[in-house]
Amino acid sequence: MLDRRLLIVSGKGGVGKSAVSAALGIIAARRGKRVLALAMVGSDGLASHLGVDSLAYDATRIRPGLYGMAVDRSHALDEYLGLQLHIARSLPTRQLSNALSVLADTAPGIREIVTMGKPIFEAWSDRWDLVIADAPPIGQLQSYLSAPQTITGLVPTGAVREQAARLETTLADPQVSSLVLVTTPEELAVQETREAIAEIDTGRQILISGVIANRVLDPLGVPQDAIVALPESPARAAGLLHTGLVEAQALWLDSIPRDDRRLPFLFGFHTPGEVAARLADILEASV
Amino acid sequence: MRKTTRTVIVTGAGGVGKTTISAALAIRLAEPDRRTVVMTVDPARRLADALDLHSLSNEPSPVPGVPGLWASTLDATASWEGVVQRYADPDVAERLMENHYFRAIADRFPAAQSFAGTETMATMIETGSWDAIVVDTPPSAGGLDFFLAPSQTADLIGGKLLRWLTGAQLPGRRFLYRFTGKPLLKIADTVLGGALLEDVAEFLLDLRTMYDRLAARAATIQQHQRRATTLVVTTADPAPVAEVLRFFEELTDVSISPSAVLLNRALPLAWADAAGRPLRGIPNPELRATLKANLMRWGGEARRQATAMEGLAGRYGVPLLTVPWVAEPPITVDNLSLLLDDVAGLDPIVGIR
Repeated sequence: MLDRRLLIVSGKGGVGKSAVSAALGIIAARRGKRVLALAMVGSDGLASHLGVDSLAYDATRIRPGLYGMAVDRSHALDEYLGLQLHIARSLPTRQLSNALSVLADTAPGIREIVTMGKPIFEAWSDRWDLVIADAPPIGQLQSYLSAPQTITGLVPTGAVREQAARLETTLADPQVSSLVLVTTPEELAVQETREAIAEIDTGRQILISGVIANRVLDPLGVPQDAIVALPESPARAAGLLHTGLVEAQALWLDSIPRDDRRLPFLFGFHTPGEVAARLADILEASV
Repeated sequence: MRKTTRTVIVTGAGGVGKTTISAALAIRLAEPDRRTVVMTVDPARRLADALDLHSLSNEPSPVPGVPGLWASTLDATASWEGVVQRYADPDVAERLMENHYFRAIADRFPAAQSFAGTETMATMIETGSWDAIVVDTPPSAGGLDFFLAPSQTADLIGGKLLRWLTGAQLPGRRFLYRFTGKPLLKIADTVLGGALLEDVAEFLLDLRTMYDRLAARAATIQQHQRRATTLVVTTADPAPVAEVLRFFEELTDVSISPSAVLLNRALPLAWADAAGRPLRGIPNPELRATLKANLMRWGGEARRQATAMEGLAGRYGVPLLTVPWVAEPPITVDNLSLLLDDVAGLDPIVGIR
């Protein structure tokens, strides 16, 4: 997962993809890589799991080797137009992108390509060994992954088309880029993960390098019948909830394709920063 | 005879159990001699099976085993087609339906699904044929978009991009073919390719002709929303709780005040209190030790939930109701009807005597 230059992390909303993104960043930095963890949309989750108040469009140092960043669409649009499309500096880029940002809200593919472009531009840069992108939730992932194709389909010629083709090639190169899907062992999360895998298998926009099941409960190791037989009490009720949840999770764990990593449900009080550090320890120990 | 419809809007962040709670509430509201409908958004497969929903359709179908209850699943594209056919002139409607951006934009504009939901809700209320409507909302912006979408949609159509492309006056169609005369547009044209910009502009221009009617429609929809009972569903996890706070902060702008916050997957606080005490009545020492350790963990979770909810309860003068955490999400109509049985205080809020 961590061997390529670009790792995109997605999953259904609420399954813990920002925590896992931060944890993967921590592990890679511990291994001596220069790592950028980048929030593509809504940076609050990633920021709190990295233990900082907020992230900006300039890389912020989190710990040795680990930096954090958030994509801000208007800056990203400037960069996309100015830097990446090599529009002559004499042109009023700022003014142009202000005007175009309105268009970016509506024209199909523009919003997505600008947001999807940023982690790829960073992965091209020599500054990082690894870019981890905390991506939009799985329901929107497809429109981001296929944004370069959408653009090449719409724009017949010119700089935009060339740029989109380059982005598409980078994403699709299994030596350079891969995707990790985070899920929980619950019906909707697993269902959406399976659908995303099927779509990506068809569209071949990117290699899927792993599926991580998060918040997995360990079995209690005592038979459920023995608990049911007890008189009513909080201990009995908590025992039945736990064994019931383990049973329900087992069903969904079985139907997660390519499930190669499991992370436990973390009980008790944890700050988001502690959650990411704990998950990093657990992931590292399991490798 | 036209009925007065009781409308309950169930909102909140994604993944907190809105759709399940909407279905459970609708089953609770349903009576054989009344007509109740639940409008769902993207239900999980097994819930859809329980409600006998097999494809996207705004047309309600009867729920097997629950006399008086119908269910539908939001079909946003169909809702938008309905909007265009109702509010655009026939020739414009025809052009829009053929415009290949129509579907793309209806899907992509972040509040588009929410607007489709509000429009479908309003249409159902206006038929006057329902006693009760339970509305599940798209999760966009933690459910906030459902309330902001009517005005946002009107703004978009009357908005900045179109004025920028065409000037303050609504121009004739031919103007569009000269728009590259403006220097900025010339650059945009070079960067994006002329065909793209022209198509988008033409599309927006067509939408613009609907502006007055859509703005009036948005105002009507907002009135329906203000008359409805709004329930905000959350779990005790930090992200949905943060969304609820944001929801309350921003909702005052549109004069909506939720009637209750529902904490889903709630654990009894009694577990937290019991966690420290010795366990009695479990002779087997191994079982006792296991259950004690387990109660410590879940009791800690119950405590964490209580702490997380302190910031919400009472803060906006809204009751906080708890829906217990059940091991397997309810997926049959019988299980669903049990889910809200012990939720104290809910029935009067939604109008059940």
